[in-house]
Amino acid sequence: MSRFFATGSDSESEESSSADEITPKAPGATFKQSLLLSDDEEDTKRVVRSAKDKRFEELTNLIKTIRNAMKIRDMSKCLEEFEQLCRAFLKSKNIVDKEGVPPFYIRLLADLEDYLNQLWEDKEGKKKMNKNNAKALSTLRQKIRKYNRDFESEIAAYKEVKSKTKSSCLFSMHCMNLWGGVNLGLIRSDESSSSDEDDDDDDDEDWGSDQSGSSGETSDKEEGKTSSMSMLFLKNLFNTLFVFLILSLFVFSPIATIQEKPKMFAKGTEINTAVVVKKLNEILQARGKKGTDRAAQIELFHALAAIAAENNLGQGILVKIKFNIIASLYDYNPNLAAFMKPDMWKKCLDCIDELLDILFEHNNIFIGENIAEDSENLAVSDQPFRVRGCILTLVERMDEEFTKIMQNTDPHSQEYVDNLKDEGRVCGIVDRLLTYMENKGSTEEICRVYLRRIMHTYYKFDYKAHRRSLGLQGETKSEQDQEESEGEDSAVIMDRLCKFIYAKDRTDRIRTCAILCHIYHHALHSRWYQARDLMLMSHLQDNIQHADPPVQILYNRTMVQLGICAFRQGMIKDAHNALLDIQSSGRAKELLGQGLLMRNMQERNAEQEKIEKRRQVPFHMHINLELLECVYLVSAMLLEIPYMAAHEFDARRRMISKQFHHQLRVGERQPLLGPPESMREHVVAASKAMKMGDWRTCHSFIINEKMNSKVWDLFPEAQRVREMLVRKIQEESLRTYLFTYSSVYDSISMATLSEMFELEMPTVHSIISKMIINEELMASLDQPTQTVVMHRTEPTSLQNMALQLAEKLGNLVENNERVFDLKQGVYGGYFNRDQKSYQQKQSGYQRGGYRNQNQGNY
Amino acid sequence: MIFQLVIVFPEGKCVIATGGLTISSISTSKVTQVVLKIIKHYQEEGQGSEVVQGVLLGLVVDDRLEITNCFPFPQHTEDDADFDEVQYQMEMMRSLRHVNIDHLHVGWYQSTYYGSFVSRALLDSQFSYQHAIEESVVLIYDPIKTAQGSLSLKAYRLTPKLMEICKEKDFTPEGLKKANIGFEQMFEEVPIVIKNSHLINVLMWELEDKSTVADKHELLNLSSSNHLEKSLQLLMDRVDDMSQDIVKYNTYSRNLSKQQQQKHQYLQRRQQENAQRQSRGEPPLPEEDISKLFKPPQPPPRMDTLLIAGQINNYCQNVKEFTSQNLGKLFMAEALQGHN
Repeated sequence: MSRFFATGSDSESEESSSADEITPKAPGATFKQSLLLSDDEEDTKRVVRSAKDKRFEELTNLIKTIRNAMKIRDMSKCLEEFEQLCRAFLKSKNIVDKEGVPPFYIRLLADLEDYLNQLWEDKEGKKKMNKNNAKALSTLRQKIRKYNRDFESEIAAYKEVKSKTKSSCLFSMHCMNLWGGVNLGLIRSDESSSSDEDDDDDDDEDWGSDQSGSSGETSDKEEGKTSSMSMLFLKNLFNTLFVFLILSLFVFSPIATIQEKPKMFAKGTEINTAVVVKKLNEILQARGKKGTDRAAQIELFHALAAIAAENNLGQGILVKIKFNIIASLYDYNPNLAAFMKPDMWKKCLDCIDELLDILFEHNNIFIGENIAEDSENLAVSDQPFRVRGCILTLVERMDEEFTKIMQNTDPHSQEYVDNLKDEGRVCGIVDRLLTYMENKGSTEEICRVYLRRIMHTYYKFDYKAHRRSLGLQGETKSEQDQEESEGEDSAVIMDRLCKFIYAKDRTDRIRTCAILCHIYHHALHSRWYQARDLMLMSHLQDNIQHADPPVQILYNRTMVQLGICAFRQGMIKDAHNALLDIQSSGRAKELLGQGLLMRNMQERNAEQEKIEKRRQVPFHMHINLELLECVYLVSAMLLEIPYMAAHEFDARRRMISKQFHHQLRVGERQPLLGPPESMREHVVAASKAMKMGDWRTCHSFIINEKMNSKVWDLFPEAQRVREMLVRKIQEESLRTYLFTYSSVYDSISMATLSEMFELEMPTVHSIISKMIINEELMASLDQPTQTVVMHRTEPTSLQNMALQLAEKLGNLVENNERVFDLKQGVYGGYFNRDQKSYQQKQSGYQRGGYRNQNQGNY
Repeated sequence: MIFQLVIVFPEGKCVIATGGLTISSISTSKVTQVVLKIIKHYQEEGQGSEVVQGVLLGLVVDDRLEITNCFPFPQHTEDDADFDEVQYQMEMMRSLRHVNIDHLHVGWYQSTYYGSFVSRALLDSQFSYQHAIEESVVLIYDPIKTAQGSLSLKAYRLTPKLMEICKEKDFTPEGLKKANIGFEQMFEEVPIVIKNSHLINVLMWELEDKSTVADKHELLNLSSSNHLEKSLQLLMDRVDDMSQDIVKYNTYSRNLSKQQQQKHQYLQRRQQENAQRQSRGEPPLPEEDISKLFKPPQPPPRMDTLLIAGQINNYCQNVKEFTSQNLGKLFMAEALQGHN
């Protein structure tokens, strides 16, 4: 019986339990005669029962225990009880023959079979079962199969009705209403004909409107004033009535009763706001409970919304229901990792759109999460509606769901593209919410919705604005022209939204995100100075390590974008510095939230992995890692190669970029050097050419068909970047050439150099001058002849070597002295300890002195 | 051209401790082509830093060791791993004997690269030679110096002291300390006299007169940096090795002293406890094996350090020699220039 109310709310099930208590004792109203006859049978209890009642009571009791056992999955118990039930059923054979198979019996058989099949399918659950249970399950399954063959037709009929009722809730609801009424009428006529007192007529009416338990009780009490005999009699009558009602309902639409009863409004009930709200709360109470059918709940809400709309209950209630629908849509997935199914997602978007429609149309609806439940004003009245709920949270949640969907779709499938098309709708909703909030929301809410908007804008390259800035709009068609002039530049939007947040936001996080997005957007559109200044002014670099991982990922993305932007602008050093942190760790993929590294698999457990997966950036927002690496390596090459040439003999020279050196070494280790294939090999080959000052080869390695398609064409202004790159290669090659071969020249004409590197004379002049000023090149410029005259001040390689040797010997002496110190220490006794440490100090000083001297000598 | 090589043991220095056998001194007039054969061997097979080796044959006459012939070891290749070297030597010597040439094994020769020959391998093989044949020497041929115009050929023997240490295989710091050996006393150089037959000498004189290319340009070559650079490079490498060894030794001795301290403390505690127990009339604690409780750290072998030191010394000698020569040349050149 309890399953009967499984989908109902709490109050309903309480009711049902009270009904359970009553049912077993209930004598059939139609068996008045036998009831009267068997009056003396159980005199002591003064409870009168027919044979049928007795049998049926036995059966229902057994059924109850079986259902309980089903609930706790106790298969052995189930089996036991089922066997008893079969026996009891056989006993009551003659009654059944007379009456037909009782519907509740059929119901149990059908349900039990379904349940067993379901258990049988559930492989995992079966595994978890203990041995006894599993054994019982298989036996029981076989038994019930065999047994049910006898009742095939009945079960089929039952199932048909069940499926029918499921398909149309509304219809069945009305059915229920109707049938409830009909039954009542029937019973009443029955009653009036057979019973002496018609006192309980009122009660009967109450039955229909779901108030049975309490009102029944009260009626009982009232009756209690009369004689106990009559009271019992009446009670019996009353119970009979109830059972009959239920049985009749079973026959016609057994499952409909189960599903629809909780929210059905009795016929004649005036559907007003209060009733609907009550219903709503009832449904809501089942939320989050185990065994609640979430899909059904959503259906219920929809039905309720339809009823509310039908009865013109006003927008307030509709808004409230919509809130709940959306919330339960979000609730549909039990855990955070799962993502919405496409139809759910569509429904969710539709619902939010509708909700926003209502909100826009009706200006007098106030919503807010701080409106208390009891101060809500849902009824149609002069006062504006007040509804509890937060549209912003819902939209934010929707946005997150969208991200989740994108995260969980294969980025190389058509499905992804299809899903991505929804981005426009999401943006539209965010935009609508934004306009709504600008009118109604508080500053904080505006900040939040602005951030959402920013998050949807910052990573997109604004092609319109780009084209416009290039002055190409004249060439495009007129429609496009219109389109272009319509939309605001994303830069303007970003600027407006971000500045609002900078000014108004109180939570640090939103501001941080906004700044980062702003920088990203600037960088993406090659506004290098703005981006850099914003980054420096925000001082984010100092405290970003305290932020939460998603913000850190955003920061990393921003830094990378900044570096790439610097590269495009020809700020090689800045580009290198910006990318160094990300690239040197070798975990760029992880740091940018674009994938998990395999090698960490052992270190993290499943839980952590889930968390990390949730942080991943959707594919359409990814930064091309190859582009990133190429930009990094090329800028490292442009910095490192001249540096290496300049400090060839320096024993203490530092590496600018470890990763670049690593790549070089990998290239050197190759036994056979074929033509470069990958991007890295190209850069390595180019570096080697540059080392020799051969800019033409270097150029051909860096810029060619392959590299163009792999890397350079990904930039919006590919041609400009390429030109910049060639120029840089020429300049740096010139520097490298001078560093490497200056020792061979006594003097070199600048004209020759300019010819060699295809640079203009003034450029060559300025580069050489700069090198001379920085004391990198020991030379002077001879103005009249336009030549560079080398000064021989650089130590020769032999001298360098001697210096290195001297240094090494210094180390050796130091080490040796340490051995000596230790020897002294060993022989020093307890009393000499102070003295000893003093000595050590002294020798330390001496050593230091020696070292200083050494360095002075160099 | 045929040289005769005579290696002279300085008198009194060649007392071999084990047998008490004394080789006093020199001389034979047998003609050999040892030097030329060695040079040819290197030219043909050795390049760069590769080393060629071979066997010296000769005999002891009075207190001299006369080396009258030699043959090279065949070059090792990967394919003939099962090649039996000893077998080859025996075969070779037998064949020589058939043609009536000196066939007594008296040592071996090896080429070197910028004077880097003081190594463990050399030590080991020379030890085994000297152990088996008392009068064995190792001839070190320096092709680079030779190419510069002056034949560089040196003969070395292990000192009796080193022989003893090698026999005992005790290379711990203590062992070496007890033996009181430094890198200077590891090898002794034996003076070499190269002798030709008189006929050859006559031929030489004649040739010298006739020869048109008698200019010895190599000797006057002023460019020195290449050779020096190489030497410095090698020297630096050895210095690095030395540093590492010293660091190793340092850690070792630190560990040792720490452990000694612990041991001392432990013993003291033990003693105190025993004294207490005695006063209480209980039997003293049983003796435990202290060396088991405190395993002394593995001492680093010091032989390598000695060898490195020897090698460094060698390099330094080389550089010194080279630079003094070059300085002379430079001054000479300067003077010449001034004169002109």
